[in-house]
Amino acid sequence: MKTLFDFPGGVHPPQHKQQSNPGKLMDLPLPQRLLIPLSQHIGAPAKPLVKVGDQVYKGQLIALATGAISANVHATSSGLVSAIASFPVAHASGLDAMCIELETDGQDTWHPDITTANPGQLDEQEIRQRVLAAGIVGMGGAGFPSAAKLATDTPIHTLLVNGVECEPYITADDTVMQIYSHEIILGTKLALGLLKQSTCKLVIEDNKPQAIAAMLQASAGHDDIEVIVIPTKYPSGGEKQLIQNVTGQQVPRGKIPANLGILCQNVATMKAIYDAVYLGQPSIERIITVTGDGVKQAGNYRLRIGTCADYVLQQCQAEQPNSQVIIGGPMMGFQLPNTHVPLIKTSNCLLVPSAKALSDASPAMACIRCGQCEIACPAQLLPQQLYWLAKSDAFDKIEQYNLMDCIECGACAYVCPSQIPLVQHYRYAKGMLRQKATEARQAELSKQRFEAREQRLLDEVTAKEERRKTRAAAAAAAQAAKRASNTEQADPVKAAQARLAAKQKTPAHDTAHQATLANNSATNEVSHKDLKTAAAIARTKFKKANKAYEDAKAADHEDTDKLQTMVHDLQQRSEQTAQALAEFESQVQVDPEAEKQAQITWAKANAQVRKLNKSAPDSSTPDDEKAAHKEALQVAQKNLEQAQAKLDHIKNSSKEAQS
Amino acid sequence: MMALFSSPHLHGGNHSQRLMLLVLAAAVPGLVAQIYWFGFGTLLNVIWAITLGLALEASVLLMRKRPLGFFLKDGSVIVTGLLLALALPPMAPWWLVSVATLFAVVFAKHLYGGLGNNPFNPAMAGYAICLIAFPTSMTLWTSSGEYFNLPDQWLWFWTEQGNVDAITQATPLDAMKHLQGNTIKEMLAANPTIVNYADAMFWINLAYLAGGLGLMLLKVFTWHAPVAMLSSLSIMAFLFGTGEPDLYAGPSEHLLLGATMLGAFFIITDPVSSATSRSGKLVFGVGIGVLIYIIRTWGAYPDAVAFAVLLMNLCAPLIDQYTKPKAYGQQH
Repeated sequence: MKTLFDFPGGVHPPQHKQQSNPGKLMDLPLPQRLLIPLSQHIGAPAKPLVKVGDQVYKGQLIALATGAISANVHATSSGLVSAIASFPVAHASGLDAMCIELETDGQDTWHPDITTANPGQLDEQEIRQRVLAAGIVGMGGAGFPSAAKLATDTPIHTLLVNGVECEPYITADDTVMQIYSHEIILGTKLALGLLKQSTCKLVIEDNKPQAIAAMLQASAGHDDIEVIVIPTKYPSGGEKQLIQNVTGQQVPRGKIPANLGILCQNVATMKAIYDAVYLGQPSIERIITVTGDGVKQAGNYRLRIGTCADYVLQQCQAEQPNSQVIIGGPMMGFQLPNTHVPLIKTSNCLLVPSAKALSDASPAMACIRCGQCEIACPAQLLPQQLYWLAKSDAFDKIEQYNLMDCIECGACAYVCPSQIPLVQHYRYAKGMLRQKATEARQAELSKQRFEAREQRLLDEVTAKEERRKTRAAAAAAAQAAKRASNTEQADPVKAAQARLAAKQKTPAHDTAHQATLANNSATNEVSHKDLKTAAAIARTKFKKANKAYEDAKAADHEDTDKLQTMVHDLQQRSEQTAQALAEFESQVQVDPEAEKQAQITWAKANAQVRKLNKSAPDSSTPDDEKAAHKEALQVAQKNLEQAQAKLDHIKNSSKEAQS
Repeated sequence: MMALFSSPHLHGGNHSQRLMLLVLAAAVPGLVAQIYWFGFGTLLNVIWAITLGLALEASVLLMRKRPLGFFLKDGSVIVTGLLLALALPPMAPWWLVSVATLFAVVFAKHLYGGLGNNPFNPAMAGYAICLIAFPTSMTLWTSSGEYFNLPDQWLWFWTEQGNVDAITQATPLDAMKHLQGNTIKEMLAANPTIVNYADAMFWINLAYLAGGLGLMLLKVFTWHAPVAMLSSLSIMAFLFGTGEPDLYAGPSEHLLLGATMLGAFFIITDPVSSATSRSGKLVFGVGIGVLIYIIRTWGAYPDAVAFAVLLMNLCAPLIDQYTKPKAYGQQH
């Protein structure tokens, strides 16, 4: 016999396998209602191809796989599509999922296109196509689409066919192996053909002597299929443990078995591949163990996918058909939130414990860190530490203790003397870790978004500043150029004086001076206002200087001569500006009062016109009133015109004076 | 038995109470041997420590507003009381046992949060407190085969009346510590009672060894901590004893005198306060073995199990930190 490598940990729970009579296959009457979920596999749910009211055949494709990791769904009997809606499904969370509901017609008519084939006449592509079309998924429980798994790019040297079935109570695979051993071998040969350079190891636990005998007999003569018997120990059927046990290798963290050149498939999956290729039949039925002390007719049943659990329980005379049923094995299965749920391609067991067994469960006591769990753990973790860390929400630390390598086999909780539901604590912590990872990812994205926005805003501000600077520089340059071109300092007083002088003289008198003046008046807008300002400044300066001089004299300062000269100069300048202003004002005859008056007159006239326009008479107004209004309007308009003319005149003359 | 709400729905049927009962049962041979050689004092110690321990546990549980029945029946306080009483000298009076029990149950256990949360071994904490506070009373060991009858012992236990000097003597470890210039051989030749006493300790240790091996076979604990401790103690004794056999006791003396076997199989295997992983328990055991040798040979106290255990209890979290096993898939 071949050397085995064993795996660490593991437990030996009582098997209870004979309770379900392995090797004897029974059929239940076809149910009137089938509820076929669109997602019975890992990956994207299939897309419905039928609508309510459609008549479908058994084996007809009713929902199409979407994407590479997905699987087709077929009608599992003939009948009428009565609903396509959300129904409760067999999920620990109790969530609903999309299902196609069939009302069976009892005829169970196969779809006419379903034909048998001789694989010898099919090429590889056609075989792959048949496996793909049949919607086969891993029937050991994971539900990974088989066609995708067999289409691996990595070279596979070993195909591990898993007939271990290490969970207590379950005998579905045992029964498949006893009854369909030849089909399993033929299906395995097909899989080996697809994988090319590969040999098969079919692994069975030593507690199934009949299955071992059947498989040995069926595999006789096939050199590339070796039947390997391993000692009974839970969880030897777990993929990682199976690989370690048979090959001595561990699947490296974060890798899949294919990285080691190994591919695992369940025995029932091999049988489904046979059905698909040889018979052309899609995955529409499976064998399920119904067992437990709470069920009278325990056994293995061939069931259509989509048969509801409550129907099965009722047919098998379960004690409590409506509550407290475990789907899957006693170690890794979960309690059905309710029994009105369909059984799917991955459902291998319905376990109905007796009411007494349930009442025996005792409450959890304190963890004394006895380490029994550590000895039982097949993943070589420290369950006792994980428990304390999960309990205290120490999620960073629990990750360092490799929580994510926990396979949730339940061996730790099985041996725990304090009856602590350890796996529950691990699931909680794993959920929190996943949530934290998601949150961290989202936070990182938000941070990136925020930083990008900040950068963009900053860039905008910088660009704006740059533009402003450029503009300012251009403006400064222009001004500098202007200043450079203007040789004479703009002095309003001198300009005004010059202009006056120029006006008094004849144009021909001094052409050179006139040219300068023209230049001045063009570049320097010497206005009335400028003159006023200059006069005011000169006056203030003189007053200040004069005061300073008076003060200095009063204080008997010696050096007052200079001040006196300055005051004198300033006085002269002040007088000059005042004179220039007066001359300018008299010259242009701008009387500020007159302009103001003209403006007021204009505004009054304008208001009158607008008022009259506003109160314009309509058709209901008597004619005499209309005439009066018209006359008044004409008068007002005339007034306004006059006022406008006067104002324009004043403004024009003022403008003329300025230029 | 099946529990529904979370997988696994099966349970192996192992219970903390079962573990506690097995420990109690495994200690019986040692208890009987101790009574046989050193008299009824140990029996009174045991009864009083367990009774008082239960009462203290109950009152603390009441104060902490915890359900009495549920926690009392875990049996942990009975184990603590028993181990503490076995470690105390046979002629310990009631108040000494009481102080030790009070400290063990209330201070070392419940002030830290009760069962599962205590960083120190409660029995050893109680023992160590008395060793420091009442050193004289803690040396009241009877000579082998010479002890009070039960009524006299009862009287002594409660009133400390009786000619205790006639029946008590220094323990062999104590005598070896105070050689006063003699070699071990000379000391033994001068004190024939020490030889008798050593014989008694030899049998008592064998009784504890037998009980401990039974627990190991029943998988109450793994071999790691006891084997590590006994090995390291033997190696230390061998290394030093081979050089100077006149001054240093050899491996057999260290293994079969004092509380070595009680410590190795009943004290350091307390899972709550020890290192938790199997490799951690190896480190934990080695540390205790080395410390026992050091304290016995060069320390101020004749026996050292309590101090060695408490010191290594302190190190347990650190050991845990550095003895994480590699998980599946990380060997590459």
